[in-house]
Amino acid sequence: MARRLRFKIEELKSDLGQIKGLEVHIGRIVEEWEEPEGPTPMPSIAELRHWDQILLRRYPPMYMPFCDLCCLCTFGKCDLSRDKRGACGLDIASQQSRIVLLACCIGAATHLAHARDLVEWLIENYGRNAPLDLGNQVFLEAPHIRLVTGIKPRTIGDLEDALDYVETEVTRLLACCHTGMEGNNLDFESKVFHAGMLDHVAMEIADIAQTAILRFPKADPEAPLVDIGLGTIDISKPVIMVIGHMVEPSVGIIDYLEEHGMENEVEVCGLCCSAHELTRYGPKIGKIVGPISWQLRFIRTGVPDVIVLDEQCIRTDLALEAKKINAVVIATSAKNMQGFPDMTHEDPNKVVELLISRKIPGAFIHESEAEKIGEVAVKAAIKLAPLRAEYKKLPSKEEIINWAKKCRRCGECIRACPNNLPIKDALDKARNGDLRALADLYERCIACTRCEKACPEDIPILTLIMKASERIFKEEKFKIRVGRGPIQDTEIRTVGQPIVLGEIPGVIAFVGCANYANGGREVAEMAEEFLKRNYIVTVSGCAAMNIAMYKNETGQTLYEIYPGIFDAGGLVNVGSCVANAHISGAAIKIASIFAKRNLRANYAEIADYVHTRVGACGIAWGAMSQKAASIASGFWRLGIPVIVGPHGSKYRRMLLGRREREENWYVYDAFTGEKVYTGPVPEHLFYAAETKEEAMVMAVKLCMRASDTTKGRAIKLTNYIDLHKKFFGTLPNDLHLFIRREADIPITLKEEVLEFLKKVGWKERREVPNPTLLKELVKKE
Amino acid sequence: MMRGESTGQTAEIPGPIKAILLKEPKRVAAMLKGIGRLVIIVGDRIMEYENEKFKPIDFIVDLAKSVNAHINVTGPLITKFREKGYEKIYLMPAMETIDRLRDPEWKGFDGEGGYRMAVFIGFYYYYEWLMLNGLKHFAYKWLRTLSLDPLYQPNATFSLPSMDVDKWRDFMLEVLNHIRG
Repeated sequence: MARRLRFKIEELKSDLGQIKGLEVHIGRIVEEWEEPEGPTPMPSIAELRHWDQILLRRYPPMYMPFCDLCCLCTFGKCDLSRDKRGACGLDIASQQSRIVLLACCIGAATHLAHARDLVEWLIENYGRNAPLDLGNQVFLEAPHIRLVTGIKPRTIGDLEDALDYVETEVTRLLACCHTGMEGNNLDFESKVFHAGMLDHVAMEIADIAQTAILRFPKADPEAPLVDIGLGTIDISKPVIMVIGHMVEPSVGIIDYLEEHGMENEVEVCGLCCSAHELTRYGPKIGKIVGPISWQLRFIRTGVPDVIVLDEQCIRTDLALEAKKINAVVIATSAKNMQGFPDMTHEDPNKVVELLISRKIPGAFIHESEAEKIGEVAVKAAIKLAPLRAEYKKLPSKEEIINWAKKCRRCGECIRACPNNLPIKDALDKARNGDLRALADLYERCIACTRCEKACPEDIPILTLIMKASERIFKEEKFKIRVGRGPIQDTEIRTVGQPIVLGEIPGVIAFVGCANYANGGREVAEMAEEFLKRNYIVTVSGCAAMNIAMYKNETGQTLYEIYPGIFDAGGLVNVGSCVANAHISGAAIKIASIFAKRNLRANYAEIADYVHTRVGACGIAWGAMSQKAASIASGFWRLGIPVIVGPHGSKYRRMLLGRREREENWYVYDAFTGEKVYTGPVPEHLFYAAETKEEAMVMAVKLCMRASDTTKGRAIKLTNYIDLHKKFFGTLPNDLHLFIRREADIPITLKEEVLEFLKKVGWKERREVPNPTLLKELVKKE
Repeated sequence: MMRGESTGQTAEIPGPIKAILLKEPKRVAAMLKGIGRLVIIVGDRIMEYENEKFKPIDFIVDLAKSVNAHINVTGPLITKFREKGYEKIYLMPAMETIDRLRDPEWKGFDGEGGYRMAVFIGFYYYYEWLMLNGLKHFAYKWLRTLSLDPLYQPNATFSLPSMDVDKWRDFMLEVLNHIRG
């Protein structure tokens, strides 16, 4: 492996003189480890292009431009409609792919910068040689880092080499978005895949670093259950709210409370990924309010006394919102300083005094000073809470009615609402004292407040919805299993074979944000359906929270019903967004641990294995961000399909296969070299579904793989047929494409299916136990 | 901006090529009658238009029968459509449908040839906006599109103006009456 030698002398006195602060870095020392190095250590943009082209031939982009213009340079705006090209020569297809690449670079850079800051902080506090200990069941500690860079990291310091590589590549990719660079849409798409691959390395760096060093669960299927929901917050205590995606402030706050025996004196709760990290670090203290769309909801209740901002996906107007409820804001990331004065080096008591007295609008305290953040947040919350009692409530019903009476019925609120919610009608009813229609909006409202911005009367519509829904949100009391981090090697040994043979019908990953077209309940409903059908369901980020926020008829959440193991019927919360790397990492681990493929710097072979054999599918039902785009693209390069919800269509291009084009669905038999038709497995790589029913049917279909045994295929077909019948009433009309031999047909459906097959003229064909899309792998197995 | 050209969502600013507004039911009827081979693509939101006097599924089936159109239902409503007994009803998800409509070689749901026009109704506004834009840029040489939803869809070749849903229901019934003559 490649390691950098660094040593530092703080102070040396000798007869020759005195040395202070000497730090020496010596390039790289190549250190060998057990696996031979594969063909692509630290691949550059072009090195995996061949693999990308194979995927893109199967799944060519289908563009749905979000904008017909380009306005990125001073030549523009350029009209790219139809066959036109802009002043730089770019056409609309390439422009769409370029914007996707730009989004993925932003997403990857966000995780990457996060990882860099986190690793630096951990090194500063725990030393470069702190071991990467992920527990006694995880020996393949960093599948992405090993696969992509060829490095086997042993210490936190080893992660810096991987970071250096990813930073270099992301910068190169970003350069490709400049005017007058790449001009081919498919090469842009290859670069999109590259960005995604890099993103998964960056996410893995971040999550294994914090999991190894901090007291997070280490691949523990029995990670604790913690409270989630607005109703779980004890508003009689001072309340600190952390929001964003960073662990350092939470560490500072929890450590301070524990060191001072104040665990029960302050309520600490979080939103979005910071809430995952908060509860992974301090499950006995931390609570989760909810996913990202709960941030304004919570603030509008007036409950939080101190709001600790960090980075990523935070509303940029939170400081303004906090001001309305007289709460104090502490910004902690240099990426999001909110215009606050830098108090990083000030005395904590002075900062508290300045904040409480409102002499400063908020404070910036750099994340590296976690202890100080903790002290300031706790002290400020305790001092401020009694002064804010009057703010900790929503307006009265009379006030709501009076606001509603101001409505001009212009309908601009509806036009502004991303989900076209019937706000105008709800206000109409509210003006007469009936708040039920406003309460009905709660479930589907994503709390973006675009309606408020559009309202000519400045009606605080979200606050009205919150008041009308007070009874609903006070009952938001649920349980979520804390993010467990990686998947154990032993779990992979258990499930590797049944997944590759198809006997576990698939791994469904619910990931991504909370921009739902029809409310978050749909995610929980989908997850439950797959769990009942014995799929392995992995979850992360905001989706993991939404899944927790519904109870079944027995009054339990899915986390209380289903175990946290990575096995059939397991519900596996890996953690925050950066923990997504463990989901894709599990697929890589199957290739390594179960199939004994060399991992080291061997990307194309492993991706080929995953694509042709590991039945997995991601569902990012509320995907919103650029991070979600880059996370998805990392799955694509591994050949894992991703389904998004209706709003995901705004990612402006899909990657769709055409099942009827038989020539696209051939693989090599790795033993004989023969080209064999497999059917469209999996049929698409990126797909925006319109309804949850469509997404469920599509997901089970996209879990079929060329390597499925007849038993495995029969199990997968049982699910496909059953769900198709349940939602669409008939056998799927493409069923014959997935049946290779009569033995593939589920026994209970045999008669019906054979009749269908006869009608469409189906003929038996051979299976391919060792499929590959890479000619160079023929006879290698 | 012409009257009725306000888009269904505030920031959905149309591009340089915008839909032709069809403000009169008789023009819509003439279009549907005269265009030739057409498919009506029905999204899962269509039931939001239902009230006592307007049954969207019945309306679509009647419309399709009157102009000999294919109906492609993209979601679970297919089960309700099948109950109507019209033989030219198909099920294909929206994304897959758009992918095929942008293909000049595609022979339609019955394999007998491509469509001259695709008619859209019953989708999330933004979802339809994007699908129509895909076709506007990548299928314009062989395919025209018409949005029958009550919100102006600038990326269609032809769109109704934005209008109140009650007014829209009357408009739709009038279209059908004109077609039936």
